[in-house]
Order: sequence, then C-alpha cells, then structure tokens
Amino acid sequence: MLTFSDTWLPFIYLYGVGGIFFLIGMIIIRKSGAINLNKKRHKYWYRVLIFGYFYFVLMHALLISWALYW
Amino acid sequence: METTAHNIEQTFHSIGSSTDWIVMVVYFFFVMFFGSYFGKYNRSTKDFFFGGRRFAWWLIAFSIVATGVGSHSFIKYSAKGFQYGLSSTMTYINDWFFIPFFLFGWLPIIVYTKIRSIPEYFEKRFSPSARFLATVLLLFYMIGYIGIGFLTLGKAAMPMLPKSFSLLGMQIHTSLMGVIIVIAIITGIYITFGGQTAVIFTDLLQGFILLFAGFLLFFLGISYIGGFHTFWNLLPTAWKLPLASFNKPPDFNFVGIFWQDGVAGSVGFLFMNMGLIMRFMATKSVDEGRKAATFNILFMLPLSAIVVGNAGWLGKAISVAHPEIIPPNTSPDQIFVVVANIVAIPGVFGFIMAALTAALMSTVDTLINATAAIYINDIHRPVKQYFKKKSISQKENDKKELAAARYSSVIITALGVVAVLAFKGFPTVYEAHGYFHSTLTPPLVVAIFLGIFWKRFTPAAVMTTFIGGVALMLLGASHPSILIHPFDHGIHMNAHHPYSYIRALYNLVVCSVVGVGVTLANSKLEQFVKATIKSTSMAYILVGLSTLLFVLIVSDFLPLSILIILSIILIALVAVTSSYLIEYNPEGQTTGLTIWSVQKAKEAFKGRKINDAEGKKVLVNWKKKDVEDGVINFSKNDMEKMAANVGDLVYISDKRKWLGGLKSIHSVYGEPHNEDGIVYLSNEDLLNGVFIKGKILEAEKEM
Repeated sequence: MLTFSDTWLPFIYLYGVGGIFFLIGMIIIRKSGAINLNKKRHKYWYRVLIFGYFYFVLMHALLISWALYW
Repeated sequence: METTAHNIEQTFHSIGSSTDWIVMVVYFFFVMFFGSYFGKYNRSTKDFFFGGRRFAWWLIAFSIVATGVGSHSFIKYSAKGFQYGLSSTMTYINDWFFIPFFLFGWLPIIVYTKIRSIPEYFEKRFSPSARFLATVLLLFYMIGYIGIGFLTLGKAAMPMLPKSFSLLGMQIHTSLMGVIIVIAIITGIYITFGGQTAVIFTDLLQGFILLFAGFLLFFLGISYIGGFHTFWNLLPTAWKLPLASFNKPPDFNFVGIFWQDGVAGSVGFLFMNMGLIMRFMATKSVDEGRKAATFNILFMLPLSAIVVGNAGWLGKAISVAHPEIIPPNTSPDQIFVVVANIVAIPGVFGFIMAALTAALMSTVDTLINATAAIYINDIHRPVKQYFKKKSISQKENDKKELAAARYSSVIITALGVVAVLAFKGFPTVYEAHGYFHSTLTPPLVVAIFLGIFWKRFTPAAVMTTFIGGVALMLLGASHPSILIHPFDHGIHMNAHHPYSYIRALYNLVVCSVVGVGVTLANSKLEQFVKATIKSTSMAYILVGLSTLLFVLIVSDFLPLSILIILSIILIALVAVTSSYLIEYNPEGQTTGLTIWSVQKAKEAFKGRKINDAEGKKVLVNWKKKDVEDGVINFSKNDMEKMAANVGDLVYISDKRKWLGGLKSIHSVYGEPHNEDGIVYLSNEDLLNGVFIKGKILEAEKEM
C-alpha cells in the first residue's frame, strides 16, 4: 500500500527545497548584475531558466500521476 | 549461472558468444583509431587539456552525453531500476536548481579569468595554502571518481568472462581486480596519445551510439515482453513512480539521494568536475557553453535516464512474468548484461556491450585527462617555479609539459585502480558512488560556492572550512548514530554502511557552519589576532598544535565529547593562524573572481573595454602573411559589418558548420586593409586553425 511519503512527499520536498536553492540563485544573478535584463540575450536566458524549473516540475508531476492513475 | 554465499544473489559468467566478442574488439579498435586521428589537433598543453576553446555548443552537448552517461553508468542505474523501478531516473532529473549559479556565475568566471584548474581559482581568490588544500581534496575526488569508473567497468565485463581460463598451461581465475587492471592498461594507452580534442570527438561519436544502443535495448526488450502495455502492467505501482520513497529503504531513499546527488552531487558535477568544466571551457564562447549545459540538462539527461535504467525495468518485468528466466534474486549489478543478452541476438548484444564499455572508458578518459591537468597546473608548474629551473623557450616548455601530462596520465590511471579497493566492498556500484559523493564533495562544494557567491568569504574561512569541516566530517563518519542521526529525516541506519547518502547533508551543514561562522566573525577575529599573536614563530607553533589536534581527531581514540571540544579548538586555531599568516587583499582578490564582478573579469579577459555593439558574421577567404604579430587583418568594410574595432577579439572558423569549430581560432583584430572578403592570417594561425586552402572562413566579433 503506497502512502503519501511514497508518492507526493518526495515531489513536494524536491521542488520545495530545490526551489529555494533555485530562487536564491535567480536572486543572486540578478542582484549581482551577472544577468542584465536590459540585454536581449540575457533576457532570453532568464526565461530559459524559469522555463527549465517548471519543465521539470511538470515532468515529475505527470510521471507520478501516470504511475498512480494509469 | 552461480549462486553466491547464503543464496542471496545469483551471478553469471560466460554470457555472450564469439560473435559478440568480435563485434566488441572491432568497435574498440574503431573508437581508438577515431580518437587518435584527432590527436593531431593537440599542438600544446592548452589543446591537450582544453581543446583550444573552439567548439560549437552542439558538439560539446553531445560529447557530454558519453561522459555523463558513462559516469552515471548503465550498471548502477540498471541495478536500481531492477530493485526499485523508474525512480532510478531521479538523479538525472534533479540538476536544474543550481544551473543559474553555474550559467551566470561559475562558467563566465572560469572562462574570463583564464583559470586552468579549480585549485588555481583558490590561489587567486584566497591564497597558495588554500590552493594546496584544494588540490589535495580535488585529487582525492578525481582519483576516487576514476576508481568508481574502473569498478563499474570491471563489473560490466565480469559476467561476459569465464570463471577461469587456461593460458600457457596455467589455470587463471577471473578476478574483478584482474579485469580492472587489464581495462586500465587499455584506457591509459588511449588517453596518453589522445588528449582533450580526441576525447571530445570520441565522446561525440559515443554519445550518439550510446543513445542508439540504449533505445535499441529498450525497444528489443519491450518487444520481447509483448509490447509496452504488457510491460507497464507487469510493473508493480511502486516501480512506476519516478521518485523513490521519502526515507526508506536505507540503500535507496529519496531524501538521502536528494542531498547526496541533487545538492552535493549537482554542485560537485557542475562546479568541481574538471572533466566536465574543461568540456565547457572548450566551447568557443561563454554563450555557447551556456547552450551546451542547458541543452544537456533539459533534453539529454532525461533521455539518458531512460537509456541507462531501462534494462533494470525490463529485468523486473521479465522477473515478474518469467522468474525462471530472470530470477528475482539476480545480482543487481549484473542485470544490465543479463537483460541485454536475453533480448538481443548475438552480435547486437556485443554491440550494446561495446557501446556501454566504450562509454565508461570515455568517462574514465575524461577524468584522467582532467586530473592530469590538475597535476600540471597545481603541482608540476608550482614546484618547477619554486625550484626556479633555468628558463627555456615557450615552445620547449610546452613540449616538456605535454610529455609530463602524458606520464602523469599513466600514474593517475594506476592510482585509479588502487582507489577501486576503497569501493569494492559496497553491495552495489550505486551505493559506492553515493557514499563517495557524500563524503568527498562537501568541503570543496561549500568552499567553491561561498567563494564565488559571497564576497566576504575570507581565506581564514576557506582554510577553516577545509580543515575544521573535514575534522567534523570525520567525527560524523566515526559516530553516525549520534552526529548524523539528527539530520537523517527518519532514515534507518544500516550498521554496515551507515547513512550512505544523508551523510551529505550533515557534511554540508558542518562545512557551511564553519565557513559562514568564521567569515561573520572576521572583524573580531582580526582584532583578536592583532592583540594576541605577536610573532610569526608563535603563529607557527599554533599551526603545529593544530596539526596535532587534527591527528588526535583522526585517530578517534578519545571520547566523542572531548573530540568535539578538540574540533572546536582546532577550528579556532586554524582561523586565527590563517588570519595572521595569509596576506589578503579583499578588493584585489575578489575583483573578477566572484559573481559580483563578472563584468570586470570580462574586461580583464579582453584587456580593454568591452565592445557590445551588435555586428554581423562575414565570410572571407584567407591569405597568408609573413609576420607573426598576434593579430589578423580584415578589410575596413568587413570590420564595419562586424561592428569591430582594432583590438577587439575575433573568432574565425571554417564555414562548414558540421565541423563544429574544429578548424577555428581566436585572435585579435589588427589594422584593416582595403581588400574586401579577405583575411590575412599568420603561419601560426593557419597551423592552429588547421585551415585548408580554398575553403571559406566565417568570422564574428567575440567581444
């Protein structure tokens, strides 16, 4: 019998704690000026970074749902 | 088939046919020939180690596949796939969290500061003593990684070999260490004559073949089982989940592996793995490096997760439907070979095994090449400088260093074989690798991370992180039930291999607390040092005392409470003595070396103000000039098209995109001429770029 700690808890922990690291990274690269959103190329990379985070969130959510309900 | 002691696991020997062996031998010779062909592009240690900073992103992205897949091998993920299902993929899909730090922090810093090794960064950012400690820790890390690679290679080869064979009338038993030594000799020969360009191109080829072989195995297996629907329904629900159970069992739990692989491993892989970093440094620009890293993590790693784990999932499904074909107690580390042999016909099995072992060799090659780079940069050159050897020409020096790089590759290969002994006692390669990452990466990970992203992080803090952090880590290793237990998230402690993964969290926390604590106490520390340390000899006495304390902690014969007190005293002593003995210029030693001044690093790289004006690429024919003046000359009109000025940096390559920048150089714009569509190159430029007469070149302004 699968429990919450087998199914969704790892997902929440992964993107919760991992998300904190990611957010800190995004804040630091902006505050330090390493990424300059006035530059077209940097704006593109900023979007790619955000896209990547949600891409993996969606991928894992779908895979868990698929395993449980399909 | 053989049942090992206590009827726990079944192991296999002599799997495969002579056709498979022929295919494997042919494949290996082909790969070695392919790699050595590119050895001609090594004209200096810069080329040998860094491939001359010339390649396109796609070439590097695919070449990384073989390195990444090899190191995160077929063997260990198939083993976990067989034991626990699709959650074997989780370590391939948890690397994104640190990618902002890498793309806009570490990558531009290492490229623009022209740092050739991680320890060199520690010297520039902190001090030579920090470089020394970083070198020691990094060599442990890299050689340990090579050891894991050899162990995996040995375990992959064992099921295909007979239990014993006779040679010149002698009966020889096939042993794991014997197999590893033979593999090491083959690997050593290849890397010694290849170099980084050879490794990149061999990995590129193998990246494609590996993906093909992995998916071929998956499709053959699905068809063997009776279709995807049958396969999916044979798997128990728990086997279909992509993430492991939160905190159980001890040998494969989510939270432990998150801290070991998702945090320590990801930062270690992106920030410390010189093999990977050198690959990114081989791209033609920082932007190309970003593209390679992003493409690799977003697309190649999820595909690789399927490629390396599917044999285990197939093995589980077959063991549910036909336990007489694959017994459920089959040795997990052998499942890949067993499944490949069952689902593939002779010859195809040989091809799959050749792709697997060749990819593993790629990983080991890359690591050996990277470790040799550390040796040359951080031991060979500083030692030579210390003894102030008579000056020789740059060309002669480069020749000697290239020879030293090759000899050191051989010695490193031998040390990698010795390192296998530390890991062969673990039940699976996966656990050995997990333990290795949890134990060796945290001090360097914390030091690099704080060094790059926190300007206030001082040399005293980095030295204390290395020495005090390692002392506390050793205490944790000796007393896990007391010190690591509070961090275990409810994971049960296995008495034989306590907290293989979650120890990473304890190790990261103690190293971070030490580093952050000493940095925050810096002003008080400086006041204390001024008031109490009156002479250098007194400081050296304290260094001696610190060494004694470290030895006492390592020997671990005193009660834990006393050892903890000794560790705190050690931390204080290291902080005080480092603060006194290390000369540090906070402004000079952070400029361009932290994320807060990346732009300045870029300017320093160029040597003048950055020209950000957007220009176009131009196509040109080349003509040879007689002078070696370090610049290349375009027409005035062509320079206007590129929005370039004299002194700006230029990248020029063969126009044929599929070469991926193999024939290219970086240079500086010289004074323009009036012949549109013509670039004047020196003999040295032509030799470095390996340009062919009559072939059109494409030029673009770099910065």
